[in-house]
Amino acid sequence: MAKLSHSDLIVFLVAISTMLIVSRVVAELGKRLKLPIVMGELLVGIALGPTVLGQLSPDFFNWLFPFDTNPNISIALDGIFSLSVVMLLFVAGLEVQLPIVLRQGKTAIATGFMSMIIPFFTGYAVAWFFPEWFNIAPDGNGRFLFALFLGTALSISALPVIARILMDMNLFKTNIGMIIIASAMFNDLVGWLFFSLILSLSGQNTNHMNLGYTILYIVGFGLFMLTIGRIVLNRVLPWVQTKLSWPGGVLAMCLGLCLLCAAFTESINIHAILGAFIAGIAIGDSVHLREQAREIIHQFVTNFFAPLFFVSIGLKVNFIENFDWLMVTVVMVLAYFGKVLGASFGARLGGMNRRQSLAIGFGLNARGAMEIILGTLALNAGLISKPVFVALVIMALVTSITAGPMMRRFLD
Amino acid sequence: MEFDLARLKKRPSFPFETIAVAIAFSPRLEGLLGEASRLAKSFNAHLVLMHIGERTRTKEERLNTLIEKLKIDESHIRIIWTEGQTVDTLLQLCKLHVVDLLIVGALRKENMLKFYLGSLARNISRKAKCSVLLLTNPDPAGSRYKKIVVDGVENPKTIHTVNTAIYLAEHLKSKEITVASEVHMPTLAMTMAEESTAPEASKLKKELQEEEASKMNEMVESCRIHRDIEICQKMIKGKPGYAIRNYASNKKADLLVINSPDLKLGILDRIFTHDIEYILEDLPCNLLIVHSRI
Repeated sequence: MAKLSHSDLIVFLVAISTMLIVSRVVAELGKRLKLPIVMGELLVGIALGPTVLGQLSPDFFNWLFPFDTNPNISIALDGIFSLSVVMLLFVAGLEVQLPIVLRQGKTAIATGFMSMIIPFFTGYAVAWFFPEWFNIAPDGNGRFLFALFLGTALSISALPVIARILMDMNLFKTNIGMIIIASAMFNDLVGWLFFSLILSLSGQNTNHMNLGYTILYIVGFGLFMLTIGRIVLNRVLPWVQTKLSWPGGVLAMCLGLCLLCAAFTESINIHAILGAFIAGIAIGDSVHLREQAREIIHQFVTNFFAPLFFVSIGLKVNFIENFDWLMVTVVMVLAYFGKVLGASFGARLGGMNRRQSLAIGFGLNARGAMEIILGTLALNAGLISKPVFVALVIMALVTSITAGPMMRRFLD
Repeated sequence: MEFDLARLKKRPSFPFETIAVAIAFSPRLEGLLGEASRLAKSFNAHLVLMHIGERTRTKEERLNTLIEKLKIDESHIRIIWTEGQTVDTLLQLCKLHVVDLLIVGALRKENMLKFYLGSLARNISRKAKCSVLLLTNPDPAGSRYKKIVVDGVENPKTIHTVNTAIYLAEHLKSKEITVASEVHMPTLAMTMAEESTAPEASKLKKELQEEEASKMNEMVESCRIHRDIEICQKMIKGKPGYAIRNYASNKKADLLVINSPDLKLGILDRIFTHDIEYILEDLPCNLLIVHSRI
C-alpha cells in the first residue's frame, strides 16, 4: 500500500492546518464587514494559491501544495476535498424539508417552479445559441451538456445564505420568509437531482448508461430513500439515540449512512453527491433527529470540511488569468434576469403583490456556496472551463451580497 | 342535496347547535352514542345519527335498543339512513343539516397501509367543512375532558380554535386548558453553524422564543377568558404537529384541540408527514379539529 512518507505527512498536515487557520481568521474579519464566510475562504484560497502565493513565492507554494510534484500528497488532499464535497451536500440535504414545501402550498410551488424554469431556459438558450461566448465548440455533445449545466447552475439557490438574510431581517417566520425558504428547498432538491443527471451523462464516469436508465436510477434511489428509507430511519434513529452513546452513536450512524449512500450512487455511475444529498434529506426530515445532533453535524462540516473545500478552489484555479469580462457580464446578467424574473413571476402567480414578489425574486437570487460547489464539480468533470468557473464564483458572491439589500429595498 | 349556504357561510365554530354522529355499527357504537348523547345534552344541541350503508332490520333494532339503553331523548334525535360513497356522502349530509360538530370513532393508530391509503375517520378529518371530534376510546358513560391541550400555532384560525376550546371547557366542566405553541426553526442549525458565536446563537434562540411567547400571550389575552378555567401557556420545541402530539401524550391530555387543515391534504402529505398528519398518524388522545369557517 502506498503510504505518505514522514516528510509528506508533515507537509500534508501543515497544508491542512494552514488552510483551516488562515481561512478562519480571514472569515472572522470578513464577518465584521458583513461579508459571507465563503468569500473569506475563497480569498484565502486565492491568496495561498497560484494567483498570489504562486506568483510571489513559487517555491514555498510548491512545497506547501505540491499538487504537481508529489502524487501522494496530491491524492491525499484530493481525498479530503472529495470527502468535503460529499459532506457539504449531506448538510445541504439535512435542511431540505419537503413537508415545508408542501405546507406552503400553491405560492411556494409556483415560486419554486418558476424560479427554476425561467433561469434554466434563459441559461440553456444563451449557451446553446451563443456557445462562442463561453468558448464552447459549436458542435458535439459538449455544447448540449454545457447548455444543460448553465441552465441548472442559474436555477439553483443558496438556502444557507437566504436563511441568514431572512433571520437578519426578522422575516424568517413570516409568510414571505417561509415562501422563500420553501422555494429555495424546492430549487435545491430539483437542481441537485438534475445536476447529478448531467454529471452522469458528462463522460466523467467510464461506464456510460443510457439516459433512460440514469433517470430511472436517480428517481428510483430518491424515491426509495425518501419513502422506505425514511420509514426505516424513523424506526432506527430513536433506538440509536437512546441505546448508543450520545452524541457519538448518532453521529457515526448519520455520517456512515451518508457515505454509504454516496458510495452506492457512485457505484451505479451517478455522482457520490447525489447519495449524500438524498441521505441528508432522509435523515434531516426525521422527527427523531435531535436538534443538538443536527447542530453538531453542521458545526463539524461547516467549520472543518467547508473551509478546506472552498480554500482548495483558490489553490487550483488562477482567478486573474481566468478572468473574462464578457463571460462574467453575461453570467451576471443571466443570473439576475432569469432568477429575479422567474421567482417574481411565480410569486405573483401564487398571489403575492408586486413588491413582495420582487423581494422574493431577489432573495432567491442568492447563489452562495451552493453555486460554487456546483461549479467546482462541473469543472472537475470537464463540463466547464476555468473562465466559466471564475464567472460563476463571482456571480455567486455578488448575488449573495446584493440579495439582502435588494430585499430590504422592496420590503421596507 | 341542496345546501343552505347562507347558514353555512361564516358560521362561527361554536355554539354547537347540531351534533352529528357517524354510525358504522362497529363494536364501539354504544360508546360513541353514549358520548354523543352526553355532549348533545351539555351543549343543548340536536343530535343527528347518520349511517351510510344498507338499512336493515338488524341494524335498526340494534340502534333502537341502544337508544333505549342509553336513555337518549328520541325527540331530540334524527336518524338518517342513506347509501353512497361513505366520506363524501357523510360530509354532504353535514352541510345539508348545518352540522356544527361531527363525532367519529377512530383507532389510535392505523396500520401503515391503511394510514397511507386513508381510513374513514382520517379522511373525514382531512376533508370536513365542520368541526370533527375523533374519539379514540368512546365510553357509554361519556369521557371526561379534564385536561385540554390546544395547539396555539400562529394562524388567523387559532383564536377561534382557542375560543371553541374555552366554550367546550365551560360546558364540560374542564379544569385546565393548555395552549401550547410549537417553536420550530428549520435551517436554524445551519445558519448558526456558519457565522454565529455561542453567545450570539443563544441570544438569537432566546429572542425567537420570547417573540413566539409574546405572540401567543397576545393571542390568549384576546380570547374570551372564563374565570373558572385556568389557561396555561406553554412553548414546545419541535416540528409542528409532532411536537404537540407528543406534548398531549406526555401530559395525558383528555382532548387535543387543533385548527382544521389550511390545505387540501393528499397522499404526499402522508408520505412527507407534516402538521395534522403527525397527529392523525398516532392519535395521542381524543382529537377535536375546529373548522372556523373564516
